[in-house]
Amino acid sequence: MTDWVLACATDDIDEEDLIRFDHEDKTYAIYNTDNGFFATAGYCTHEVQHLEDGLVIGNVIECPLHQGRFEISSGKALSAPVCEDLVSYPVKVEGDQIYIQIV
Amino acid sequence: MTDYQATNAASSGISVPKKNLKALMRRSDKPGLIWLAQWAAFLLITGYGVYLSIGTVWHWPAMFLYGIFLTVPSYALSHECAHGSAFRTRGLNEALLWISSLLYYEEPNHRRFAHARHHTYTWIEGKDAQMPFATPMNFKGWLLEITGWALYVYETRLFIRNALGKFDAEVLDYTPASELGKLKWGARICLAVYASLFGMALAGIMWPLWFVIIPRLLGAPVMLLFTLIQHVEMQENDVNICKSTRSFTSNWLGRFLYMNMNFHIEHHLYPMVPFHQLENLNAEIKDQIPQPDPGFIRTNLEVLQVVWRRSMGGSTRAASIRQAPHMINTPDLQEMS
Ligand code: FES
Repeated sequence: MTDWVLACATDDIDEEDLIRFDHEDKTYAIYNTDNGFFATAGYCTHEVQHLEDGLVIGNVIECPLHQGRFEISSGKALSAPVCEDLVSYPVKVEGDQIYIQIV
Repeated sequence: MTDYQATNAASSGISVPKKNLKALMRRSDKPGLIWLAQWAAFLLITGYGVYLSIGTVWHWPAMFLYGIFLTVPSYALSHECAHGSAFRTRGLNEALLWISSLLYYEEPNHRRFAHARHHTYTWIEGKDAQMPFATPMNFKGWLLEITGWALYVYETRLFIRNALGKFDAEVLDYTPASELGKLKWGARICLAVYASLFGMALAGIMWPLWFVIIPRLLGAPVMLLFTLIQHVEMQENDVNICKSTRSFTSNWLGRFLYMNMNFHIEHHLYPMVPFHQLENLNAEIKDQIPQPDPGFIRTNLEVLQVVWRRSMGGSTRAASIRQAPHMINTPDLQEMS
């Protein structure tokens, strides 16, 4: 079953930034980039570190613990020490509300 | 992982408003390129001294001076590039990670994974992949560390084992399985480079000896005096970076050579802040962290006094630098400031 879940308002996230979104027993990262809003799993795939304090550089999120990098739009792992992709989630914006589709 | 707690700002009770932190984290190529140009200038000037002194009594002092400018920045740049924060352009980071790690004497992929684990578990025994010496340190341990002997033995063994694909359990623990091939081939490339340099020297081509090998060996103690004081005499097995790590004051030359890593508590709290913003990070959090220790030379002299007296059975209380309480063997233990 797939659900669209209301995550936050568009102005909750600064430009070139992200916020943490917790829903049920999972945690996500919601991004505001020049290319639009995106969502991925919240935790880095290298070690147990949430990405919420990471650095958004264009379409890249850099993990705050060891600076591993992922492509935000696809979740693709870009550089060591990360080598496993992040799960990414579809996002839709309705009015000023951001929804993510959780499988 | 039930016992997992990364050692960082959160585990140390330090915070910076997100907006301010974002400004500090911002990446740029310019400061790194300026630093690189300055490094090149220092190497050219001191290297020219080596060239002019060949065949004179000044040759070895000249190689020592040039060796300091070769070795300390190699370590510092390798460290900053392992974090990916020296430059905004990733390719520049990666190319310089290779060159500087070769000079430092560590395979670049291993450098990155081992150092990542050092940040995850800073100074946690058995988990930190970069605790190079037994603590509390005695004079013998100090000598092994500062001469570079401990580093050369450890890294040479690792180069050979990794090149053969025989990975130590701890390497397997901190390196994702998919990356082991890179470690293996990286080690092989490094060994080939080192073998070529030695081969040239053996064949009578002297520039690798005069400009790389001997200066690198002579400069090592200065580099290791910098790295030693990052954590020596500090608290093990504590997730609070302010207790496990030392910052120290430094003049402009020390800060240049070491790429501002004298702000070491600051770096461990927020490793994504690049070297050129560490002073500003210090300004942001200085009310939340301990005072830095008093300078590179004074801090090292006090460490040397402490390790010597520890070996001689004397008091191990330092005059002024910060020490973990259990490092001090006198009865009136002081709490760390
Ligand atoms: S935990 Fe994210 S790069 Fe290591």
